[in-house]
Order: sequence, then structure tokens, then C-alpha cells
Amino acid sequence: MTKIIEPDKQTNIFRRPSSEYGIWSWITTVDHKKIGIMYGYAAFFFLLIGGLEALVLRIQLAQPDNNFLSAAEYNAMFTMHGTTMVFLAIMPISAAFFNYLLPLQIGARDVAFPRLNALSFWIWVFGGLFLYSTFVFGTAGAPEGGYLAEEVGWLGNAPNGGWFGYQPNAGFKYSPGTAMDYWAIGLQILGISSLVSAFNFIVTILNMRTQGMRLMRMPVFTWMTFAVAFLLAFSLPIIAIALFYVTFDRQFGTTFFLTEGGGDPVLWQHLFWLFGHPEVYILILPAFGIVSEILPTFSRKPLFGYPAIVFAGFGIAFIGFGVWAHHMFASAISPVAQAGFGISTMIIAVPTGVKIFNWLGTIWGGKLNLKTPMLFALGFIGMFVIGGLSGVTHSVVPADTQQTDTYYIVAHFHYVLFGGAMFGIFAGLYYWFPKVWGKMYNETLGQIHFWTMLIGFNLTFGPMHWLGLQGQVRRTWVYAEETNLGFWNLIVSIGAFIIALSILIFMANWMYSKRKGEKAPFDPWDARTIEWTIPSPTPVWNFSKAPHVKALDDFWHAKYDEDEEGRAVRRDSADALLAQLEEEGLNPEEEIELPNPSYYPFVLSSGLPFLGYAVIYKSIPLALIGVVLILVGSFGWATEPLEEEFRSEEEE
Amino acid sequence: MSGGHDYPHESTGVETRKLGMWVFLSTEILFFGTLITTFMIFKGRDFPGMKLTDVYDIPFTSVSSFVLLMSSLTMVLAHNALENEDQEKTRVWLLATAMLGSVFLAGQIYEFTEFYHKGFELSTNIFSSTFYVLTGFHGLHVFIGVVFLIGLWIIGQRQKGLSLDSGFNLEFIALYWHFVDIVWIVLFTVVYLI
Amino acid sequence: MSDNHREHPTPKKYVQIAIFLGVLTAIEVALYYTEDIVGVFTDPLLIFLAIGKYIVVVGWFMHLRFENKMVNRFFAGGMILAVILFAIVMIERAAGDYLN
Repeated sequence: MTKIIEPDKQTNIFRRPSSEYGIWSWITTVDHKKIGIMYGYAAFFFLLIGGLEALVLRIQLAQPDNNFLSAAEYNAMFTMHGTTMVFLAIMPISAAFFNYLLPLQIGARDVAFPRLNALSFWIWVFGGLFLYSTFVFGTAGAPEGGYLAEEVGWLGNAPNGGWFGYQPNAGFKYSPGTAMDYWAIGLQILGISSLVSAFNFIVTILNMRTQGMRLMRMPVFTWMTFAVAFLLAFSLPIIAIALFYVTFDRQFGTTFFLTEGGGDPVLWQHLFWLFGHPEVYILILPAFGIVSEILPTFSRKPLFGYPAIVFAGFGIAFIGFGVWAHHMFASAISPVAQAGFGISTMIIAVPTGVKIFNWLGTIWGGKLNLKTPMLFALGFIGMFVIGGLSGVTHSVVPADTQQTDTYYIVAHFHYVLFGGAMFGIFAGLYYWFPKVWGKMYNETLGQIHFWTMLIGFNLTFGPMHWLGLQGQVRRTWVYAEETNLGFWNLIVSIGAFIIALSILIFMANWMYSKRKGEKAPFDPWDARTIEWTIPSPTPVWNFSKAPHVKALDDFWHAKYDEDEEGRAVRRDSADALLAQLEEEGLNPEEEIELPNPSYYPFVLSSGLPFLGYAVIYKSIPLALIGVVLILVGSFGWATEPLEEEFRSEEEE
Repeated sequence: MSGGHDYPHESTGVETRKLGMWVFLSTEILFFGTLITTFMIFKGRDFPGMKLTDVYDIPFTSVSSFVLLMSSLTMVLAHNALENEDQEKTRVWLLATAMLGSVFLAGQIYEFTEFYHKGFELSTNIFSSTFYVLTGFHGLHVFIGVVFLIGLWIIGQRQKGLSLDSGFNLEFIALYWHFVDIVWIVLFTVVYLI
Repeated sequence: MSDNHREHPTPKKYVQIAIFLGVLTAIEVALYYTEDIVGVFTDPLLIFLAIGKYIVVVGWFMHLRFENKMVNRFFAGGMILAVILFAIVMIERAAGDYLN
């Protein structure tokens, strides 16, 4: 084993942290793998909370005229469900994959800025905690002519203006109290986190590639990470400014989005969806990348049309910036804009279709190995196609004005974001489980998980299509018995609980396999990309020596040759190569310098929630605490070198 | 930055942190772009109350714009001096840049105070709101830049002086500073002159 | 590091550039006061001058001219994207007003 010597002197504010185990090793780590794992667990925790919120909503809607939730509570629950799933569950789970895999896939030892990486994680954690502290400190208030204060309850003391925060509904007049301030400032903090990680990933991919890792040899997952980072970097600033305006409107009496003072509520929609639509691709592109890794591996064929997939990914990212107003067809935008955005929305289906055909071409004629990751990848394709097709129907403006704000829309985006993004994420979680933990997951439980989730998912969101077309409106807490919507709503609610069951199966599998699973070989799937050339679990230093990449799917070509008919034939030397790689991977020849752990990312980010509270409660002392924490963090950071006395040392 | 000696550090040939700075500045364009767009939209509309454009003091703002423009010159001279390893000159030009930046900030504070006394508060009307938020956001950038410059100047007092290799580096601060300057070039035209 | 770069300018050159920028600023201010004479050309001229100053500072003071083309593309990409997106928003909002 290799051990890291702790530093012997420290000159700035704190001693250099040196824990290798226990909670401090996690708080101070700058290792991309540990950060990735923390992202994964924390995001999964929020996924469970968001899921519970969804279950509460479904209990309320299980039968007509139900009074399980009050209107105020219902508003808060659907707002928090959406906000949580987007910002605190799917985005960070994707970030977990980026963090863990990106350096491994390009053969790097860490990301370009390891401490910034830790910073973006901790800012995200504090942002999430800040947002959820609304249940403790926040108040939703009672708008004039709206529900009464006593109906709000504990569950209702949360943001209640929807995850899209439409104005002027989310303004102070119609959403009094502090809850929507928690929302606006919470998203602001979360946005900083994503922005920082976007810089980090862009620079990492551009600059940290190992020898021979040309851009067109990068794995597709890395490419999609790149596309997502671009989307984040160019869309988050827009929402950041828009959220500033919201905070100013609510706190300082400006009227950016309020017509009373000459403001423009539709401008909020523009700014929100200028961010919000790229955001949709931010959520789905990582799953595209994951699936593009899994399909070739389990079909034992190269990815069909690698350049097409890459360019289609960037096509989606680019056109994704030009379709935002299709969320606003029912708002007061001009007919020319409606026509233009309808057309661009149809066009974006083209690169998406290219990808689907590439994936089908990859499976076509392959020797399919239907392990759990492959099942989820196939499920992803099926569900995503359904969601994509219902999405194209929205591009027809007259049809869309009928569908807007009905459950048809809810069905559509859950097919894309749950059936798409989440299925892709689960595929990836199973696929890379052996790499992260060095154990195999339980295949039987994995398969059961897949089938229960697939059934539960379709029961939940399939009927929403026709509920929506029958006219059930979304964001409404009750429906009348006479509407005859009760039966399918009950089915939907039952489906939601089946999904919950499948998640429990997944968790059981995860916890059991992580402890007691079979030991994983380091290349369990006979995979193609270079993260599988290193031992499982990944050693702290990743690669013992920088890999030299000679081709796309380099690892596959090292193991396989082609015969005259173009069939893959395993080289005689393959087994010897694997043994040699394992030996080398565990025993680096030279001393490896790794970036040092640091307290400062944690300290710096802990200041942000205080600044948030200071704005909400107009409190100077809280602002001072925040500023001091940020200053201590940045000063310590600036004066602390990234890596100093650390070396890794060979032991036994 | 991390990794053994066998690792190529810069696949693109651009220093990693500098590349990071450029990526950051590219996204800053979107920050200011959003603010400017809002300003332009509301500038062309009817809004209740007095017009802030009537109380603009163009000669004054022109001078402070010129000051900020010249701070870009002193900044690039500091960078040039450091490239020629002239620590003394580097510090002088750094301090000059920080001073010019402070003069600009002082001018902005004076301008805000004047407008405030003439009855324009943040929430007076949509125009004054966008004006204060837009120019204030830029002013905040200048302020952070001045803090960076003074920080660099303090580090430059040490025995070994400044270097272009350290993490907190004159080159990146210079990029940031010039960026703040070009934003003002746009703002001066959009907010005051047009 | 500098093998793939053109040489950075000299201090003398920088001062000349700064004087040029100062002159452009003076013209801008002059245009503001002569709006009655120049008429409809004032605003386009002002925008043109601002773009000129912008390019000079980015190209020479920020050394973008002497930088790797990757950086160039990235910065230009952000710029172009911002201009297109925000132009659409502005036009759409102005058109919305007109229709209402």
C-alpha cells in the first residue's frame, strides 16, 4: 500500500490538515474521487427528500377533493420538489460522475483546480442547506385574497412560487414572507457552485489530457461533460442576474419584474428560460454520455458513428440556447417569435434523433450482454424517445397552447428527466460501481430494481399524458369528482409508490454490495476506455504513470485485434496485459505528488449562507460573519500552496 | 498542476490558470450582457417619474471614464515591467493602477450621491433601478480589482518580489482589470452617451 | 511558453495605444454634444467607436492577439453568443411593446 506522509510545518492560518480517515479527511479533501463520492451521496440524500415531496403530492392527488394537504402546503411541496430534483439531485449526481470519471477518462491525476473543485462542492452543500433551512426559519405568509396564514402549516413554510418563480406571482405582493427569498438566494448560491465547477471542467478537459489523448479520442462521456460545462458557463450568469433582480424587487423595493413601476414580468420569463432551457440539456447530456459508454461495452461493438455523436451533442448544446421561448408560447410574445422558436424547437429534434440512431446502430448486430447497466441504458433509450416525441408536439404552437400547464407537460418532462436522465444515471451508477468500490453489485437485485422502476415509472407518468389531454391542470391541489379524473390519478399515485419501492431495492443492493459484494476484477465488463486500466477501487493517485493513448477506445484495441472479416479477436497477450496493468497500477514506480487537503474551501463556502441570511433579515452582524469567513477562507487559500511537503511513499 | 513529472500539464499550450481566467471572463460577458439588455429594454420605455438622463453630468463621467481607461495603460506597463523583471517599476505601476481605480470609484460614489440628492433612489423608478444595479455591479468589480491590486502590491514588498509563476498572479489580475475596463467602455456609451 | 506567440508590444507602443484610446474617447464625448449636427449617425458612430476601443483593449492590452487561438475562439464565442441571444430578447421585447 501507499501512504501519504503528512506535512511537518504549516505557515498560514490553520495547520495543513492531515487526516486520512474520518470526517476531517472528507471535509478537507481535494481529491476528485472523494469529492465525487460526496456529491453522489449528498445528491442522493436530496433525491430521497425530493422523492418524499413527490409522494406527498401524489397522496394528495390520489383521490378527488382530497384534503391531505392544504393549498399552501401543496404549493410549497411542488415548488420544492422541482427545485430539489433539478438543482439538488440530478445536477449534482451528474457532477458526481464528472468529478469521479473525468480525470480518469482523460488520464489525468486530478482536475485542473483541485481546491476550486472542493469549493464548488461545499458551496453546493451550503446552498442546499440554506435553501432547506426555509423549513426552520422561513415563512410563507398569506397573500392578500389568497389562503390564510393558519393554513400554511409547517410544510407550507417553504418557497411556493414554482421552481420557475414566475413574476409577479413570486414577487412580494403575492408571495409575502421570506420563503421565496430563500429560493432566490439559495439558487444564487447553487449557481455559483455550478459556475465554478464549469470553469474547472472546461479547463481540465482542454488542458489536462494525457499524452495522445487528442480531442477526437476522448470518450463520449468526457465530450458530453465538456458540452454541459459550456452550457453551465454561458447560461448560469443570466439566471444569476435575474435572481439578483428578484431579490432586489423583494427586498429593496425595485420593480424590475413588476408592472407597477414600469417593469416587465415577461422579461423574467425570458431570462429564466434563457437559462432554463440550456438547463434541460445540462440535465440530460450527462446521461447521453453515460449511455454512450455503456452501449458499446455491453454490445461488444464500437460506438456507431463516434464523430456524429460528438457533433450532435454539441449541436444540441448550441441549438439548446436558441429555443428558450417555446416555454413561453402562452405568454405575451410576438407571433414572429412564436413561429421562430417553434421552428428552432423542431430543428433540435434532428441532432437528438441522430444520437438515437447512433445508439440503435451500436446495438444492432451486437452480442448483447443484458446486465443491469445495459438494461437501464436500453430503458433510457425507450423512455427518452417517448419523452422526446411528446416534446416535439410542443413545438407546434397552437397545440402547445392547449397543452401548456396541463399534466401532458408534466408527463413529457418526466419522461425526459426521469426516464431519460435518471435511467441514464442509474445505468452509470451500476456500471461504475465496481470501479468505485472494488466490489460487484448484486445482479439479481439490480435486475429487480430495473423492472420495478420501469413498471412504476410508466404507471406514474404514462397516464399523465391522457390526464393532461383531458384537461387536468398542473400546480393545482385538488380536482373535482365530476371531472372523472379520479381513476387514473389513483393509478399514477400507485405508480409513484412502486418507484419508491424500486429505490429502496436499489439502496439495499448498494449498501449490501458495498460491504459484502464479490471482489471486483479491475476490468469486469471487458470495457473500452482507460479508466478500466487501473485497479478497482481506484488508487488515490489514479494512474501510476501517465497513460499514452494511441486511439479511440484505446484499452479495447490493446485487448482485441481484428481478423480478416473485421471481427474482434482477443489477443493472446490480453491476459498478460491485464495482469501487468494490475501490478503496475498498485505499485507506482516514482514518487507521486498529490494536491494537499485544505480547510479553506470549506471555510470560504461556509460564509455564503450568512450573507444570504444577512440580505433576508437585513442584519449587519450576519453579513460581517459571512464576510469574515469568506476573507479568512480566501486569504488562507491565497497564501497556501497547492502542494508542498506531500509525497507518496511505498510501504510493504 | 498536479501529477508526476511524466504528466503533460498543458495540452493546449496555454497556462492552465490563465485559461481558467479567460473562461471566467467569457462568462462575465453574459453577466454584463444580461444587465445591459435589461437596461436597454427599459431605457426605451415609458416609466413613471423623473428621467435620470436629465441629470447626467457628462463632462464629469467623461473624465472618470478617461481615468479608468488610463488605468489599463498603467496595468499593462506593470505587466511589461514584470516581464522585464523590473520589480521596482512593477510596484510603481501597480500602485498607480490601484490609485486610478480608486479615483474612478470615488467618482462613482460622488455621482451616486449627487443623483441621490437630486431625488433618485434605487427604487424611484425602473430607470434608476437598472442604472444603479448596472453601474453598481461594475463598480463592485472595480472595487474587487482594486483590492486585488493592493494585495499584489503588498506581496510585491516581500524580499523575492512578484513573479509570473505564482498562483495569485499579476497576469490574471491584469486580465481581470482590463476586462473591467472594456465593460466600462461599453457602459459609458450605452448608459451615458446614446 | 512564448514560442508560439508573437512578441508583446513595447511600453512606447502601449503609450501610443493609450493615446489613441484617449482620442477615441474625446471623439465620443464630442459626438454627444454635436448630436444635433450629426443627427441619426450619432448612435451608430458611438457604437462603432465603443467596439473599436473594446477591440483595441482586448487585442493589445489583454494580449488576445498574441494568445493561443483556443482562447481567442472561446472569448469570441462567448461574445457572439451573448450578442445574438440578447439581441433576440431586446427585439422581442420591443416588438411586444409595439404590438401591445
